[in-house]
Amino acid sequence: MLTLLPQLVVSGTSTGMLYALIALSMTVVYRATTVVNFGHGDMVAAGAYAVFVFSLGFGLPFLIAMLLAIAVLFVAGFATQHFLLQPIVAGPHLSLAMMALAVGYTLRGMLRLEWGNETMNPSRPYPQDVYMFGTVVVTTDDVVICGFVLVLLAALFVLLQVTPLGKVIQATFQSQRGAALVGINVPLFHALMWGGGAALGALGGVMLSMITPLTPDLGQWTLVQGFAAMTLGGFGSLGGAVAGGILLGITEKLLGFYVNTVFIEITGYLVPIIVLMLRPQGLFGRRMTVRV
Amino acid sequence: MDIRQAIFAAIAMAGLAIPASADSTQGISDTTITIGNMGPFSGPQSTFTPLNYGPEAYLRYINDQGGVNGHKFKTVFADDSCNEAKGIAAAKKLIYEDKVFMIMANPCSGVAMAIKPMLVQEGVPWIGASANPKISRPASPGIFHSTYTGIESGRAMAAFAMGKPGTTKVALAMHSDDWAHGYCDPAVDYVKSHGGEIVATTALEHGATDGTAQALQIKTSGAQAVMGCLYQPELVVLLRELQKYQVDTIVLGALGADFNQVLGAFPNRDYLKQRFFQPYQFKAKLGTGPLKKFHDIFVKYLTKDELPKAGEPTNFYYFGVPAAIVTVEAFRRAGPNPTREGWEKAMESLKDFDTGVLADNETFGPDKHVGVEKMYAVGLNTQGQETVYKAWGDALPDTE
Repeated sequence: MLTLLPQLVVSGTSTGMLYALIALSMTVVYRATTVVNFGHGDMVAAGAYAVFVFSLGFGLPFLIAMLLAIAVLFVAGFATQHFLLQPIVAGPHLSLAMMALAVGYTLRGMLRLEWGNETMNPSRPYPQDVYMFGTVVVTTDDVVICGFVLVLLAALFVLLQVTPLGKVIQATFQSQRGAALVGINVPLFHALMWGGGAALGALGGVMLSMITPLTPDLGQWTLVQGFAAMTLGGFGSLGGAVAGGILLGITEKLLGFYVNTVFIEITGYLVPIIVLMLRPQGLFGRRMTVRV
Repeated sequence: MDIRQAIFAAIAMAGLAIPASADSTQGISDTTITIGNMGPFSGPQSTFTPLNYGPEAYLRYINDQGGVNGHKFKTVFADDSCNEAKGIAAAKKLIYEDKVFMIMANPCSGVAMAIKPMLVQEGVPWIGASANPKISRPASPGIFHSTYTGIESGRAMAAFAMGKPGTTKVALAMHSDDWAHGYCDPAVDYVKSHGGEIVATTALEHGATDGTAQALQIKTSGAQAVMGCLYQPELVVLLRELQKYQVDTIVLGALGADFNQVLGAFPNRDYLKQRFFQPYQFKAKLGTGPLKKFHDIFVKYLTKDELPKAGEPTNFYYFGVPAAIVTVEAFRRAGPNPTREGWEKAMESLKDFDTGVLADNETFGPDKHVGVEKMYAVGLNTQGQETVYKAWGDALPDTE
């Protein structure tokens, strides 16, 4: 049975990278606005459907379809923040979370309205090959997903750590009032970050649609896994979101294979509970101290 | 008793003494029969709605032919979202507000079980497509299954798999809900009673996007056949993982998945040849031979929104139709003044009745409210062509 351990780790890493991508896009929004987007899973699903519509419906090349889907979701995210969240931003945090949830359900309802009575099977833009490394099986999907997330992570790291925009994002995350005082248009910045988070979610949807059939409820599962990965890694930590996603992916494979497959579904809930009991700030989050 | 009470009592007694007629049967007027068509028109299970549209297309076709004994069918749709609470509310509306004669389609087992007490209490007939055998077993007045329940389908899955010479080791890949048990439990009973053994039981839950652990468990168990009691998206996920890990086993999918849509998820179908099968409900391939007539009915009588977005009407459209066919036939036999009792007697009088759709003929009786048993299997032959099998290696001849 232990001979399958490398396979489970490799497959878990590939699945975990997807979770990481979802967690990463949620983290971008959270880091910029301190709002957890509970409708994010449905934005992921909407992104996947957008690519499907542009590529199969309009017959556009996959790359163009993907770019258009990202653009559409960017606008959707921007509009959500600008028109729906900004007017209630002074209210309780719970209202913002509920609004995000409502937007997600509305998106899901719209998807069901159009594609509710059939599942879709988008085709990959590349051939699905299988590579053998000893006894370990790796597919083109695994390579594409892992490579894509790693490149994206590197780009985000550079954006946040090196560029002036990254410094703006970090400054706004630390103090919105301070950011406003130095001339940053915080509402516009928030809307842009919501757009960016939704666009990243669309990328996650594109990756998901290559490995699983499309259903309007695709986002439900991904939200839970993305949220768990985010919690596991530590809220607001980009590296933590990725590490959390990978750890979650590997853990669910190991528990599923060596203990019982029923654990796969609950790993997304179980692992964060254990981690938060032992380390409330998550694996890579920093303990926050508030001086009064 | 004062004089007024005596008059009311006399009127009530007189009412009871009048024999039932079309005028006194809920949902039946001199010219129309009102049918409640209930299903998941919204929500995650709305992939089952072709099971609602199939019978509706047939009723529209019958109306176009002039109806039955001077009556035309009028349908009231109700959305249950495959949710028990919504289903009960929808059934109450159909029964008490819309005053339907019967409820048809109702693909969701949980909802069907939830509304069954109300149906029995109110004496409202039901002919549905849900898989839970407990709905019509034991027989309850007015409750009929004109299609296969999980028992027939589960047995058919196991029987076909074990028909492959040398197959004794069977694995299960299933959801953890009643629906999946409705298929897998009869399959397990069949396997065990025919000298086989269950070598692995794996869970793959709704919404899962990966089945690595399940595929590897099945591989290490040495299973020769897998019973996939899964909905369509998860069945596709499982098949892709089995292909990825080169697991050499045959896979029998339950009827929660549409065969053609599953095939559509595999651009290269080589792996599925002689490997993926499903119990098959029909007497010919979809849209061919005797089923051509129904294909044409769907295309003619359903709206653009009721038909698939792309491609031909799928399995579920055809699978929904027998409920309407036997309903219409029973009304035909019940005569020009149908009553609830007359319709039920007519239903129970159906013996060896050919719907023109299903692999088996319908036979009902006072104690037998599930009309069909025998099923075929469908899969890809060695050339990759869709083939209907009576049993392993015994293909049904193609019809034009």
